[in-house]
Amino acid sequence: MISDAPALQQTSEPAESAAAPSRIVRYARPMLGVLLPLILALGWELVVWLGWSNGRLVPPPSRVFATITDLARSGELVRHIAATLWRVGLGFAFGVVAGTLLGAISGYWSLARRLLDPTVQALRAIPSLAWVPLFILWLGIFETSKIALIAVGVFFPVYLGVMGAILIVDRKIVEVGRTFRLAGPAMIRRILLPAVLPAYVVSLRVGLGLGWMFVVAAELIGASEGLGYLLLDGQQLGKPAQILAAIVIFAILGKLTDWLIEIAAAPFLRWQDAFGRATET
Amino acid sequence: MLALDRVSKTYPNGVQALARFSAEIKQGEIVAVIGGSGCGKSTLLRAIAGLDRASSGTVTLDNEAIASPHAKIGIIFQEPRLLPWLSVADNIGFGLADLPAADRREKVARALERVGLVDKAQAWPRELSGGQAQRVAIARALVPQPEVLLLDEPFSALDAFTRRDLQDHLLDLWADTRPTLILVTHDVDEAVVLADRVLVMRPRPGRLFDRIEVNLGRPRDRNSPLFENFKRSVLTSLDRSLDRRVSDRDATQGPGQAMWW
Repeated sequence: MISDAPALQQTSEPAESAAAPSRIVRYARPMLGVLLPLILALGWELVVWLGWSNGRLVPPPSRVFATITDLARSGELVRHIAATLWRVGLGFAFGVVAGTLLGAISGYWSLARRLLDPTVQALRAIPSLAWVPLFILWLGIFETSKIALIAVGVFFPVYLGVMGAILIVDRKIVEVGRTFRLAGPAMIRRILLPAVLPAYVVSLRVGLGLGWMFVVAAELIGASEGLGYLLLDGQQLGKPAQILAAIVIFAILGKLTDWLIEIAAAPFLRWQDAFGRATET
Repeated sequence: MLALDRVSKTYPNGVQALARFSAEIKQGEIVAVIGGSGCGKSTLLRAIAGLDRASSGTVTLDNEAIASPHAKIGIIFQEPRLLPWLSVADNIGFGLADLPAADRREKVARALERVGLVDKAQAWPRELSGGQAQRVAIARALVPQPEVLLLDEPFSALDAFTRRDLQDHLLDLWADTRPTLILVTHDVDEAVVLADRVLVMRPRPGRLFDRIEVNLGRPRDRNSPLFENFKRSVLTSLDRSLDRRVSDRDATQGPGQAMWW
């Protein structure tokens, strides 16, 4: 029995040393994603610094960064970002609400699907930018037409995602709802929507991506503020650093808002028993 | 009393799954329905549950016709069919949404205790073993205190040991409120352990073939000679129910249906 004690101590030692690198790994892993853009940026900086390129059309990161700080200092940056975020936010909200409602209705009631879906699919086939002249005629050149365009872009992936996901919900689970006498809105709320939540989150993220796409389209067409305006202004005045600055900010905002959806949804998806969970740890 | 009067079911593709099935089942009785594959036993259960409508004939519970799922009728499927996004406790309380939260919590807590899963109350269904998941399904069906509980081969996916355990457990739970149990099974042992009466069905089209009263006290000893006797008489009846099919086996049998279950 006495000889057992040192043996136990010995086994606890490698366990501790195994825990230490895993902590490093945990913090280092998200940084892996930053590695590639960092190398590319530093590489280009070096190329311009060495004089292999004058960097006039493709300004080095330092100059782009300087442009961003200049814009930030004058307060213009915040104004542009706020305008764009506001448009995307409102358009996204309208698109999501309409897409979820109509998607749930067409997914649940086959009559509604037969009535509604062909029209929606036909509208979806129209390139959304084709609406621009009409929206401008109907809603004017200012905010309303821009938000409407973004909402249209967000609507379709959300509608399609919700409807498609409801149609493939496991019949056996739906039957459980039926045995507890759920129907209509109660069935949608208690069985179908939770069952489609993982797919719903994906369609929200796709919708948000399209929202960002359409805000640029809307702002390129006519705006006096917003990140899209910065792009256009940079092109017309020949300031590539300003264009790149706007692009970088788009990338950061797009990634951030996408990440917001992801972490907001995470607590509701903890129940999932999926492949992605197993590879996460 | 649950009354089945000439219940028939013909599917849209022309297959007659159930033909003129009649039976009267007293409140609190335990009935096992046993038979070869395609004998319509699941069809029968779904008609009683109100999940499918009979093509003709009626199902009545206490003189009330059943055409859609009814509050007094619960069902347990072959798979647990737990809702993966609800905790074990919320799954059990799923049918109690109309109750005030305090009542619901109390009933769920009592049910958790009865099925021995108090420590799993906040677990996700994916964290349960097969036997535990089926116990949650049993609790979910029993918590609203149905008068009739239907079981569609509820233990067939479990290993032999867990199955025995759950059969005993089911009887124990049944004794609390004594609902009518209608159990579809292909396990002769299970039918004789649980049932007051075994209904043997005959396939193509599914219909009632034989009735065997199991006059054994509870708890039943699976090893007693009397128990063996009842098993043998159910097996004999099953064999006879398939006689006709044996003769024209080549004509009607598809691949993979060689065994009677």
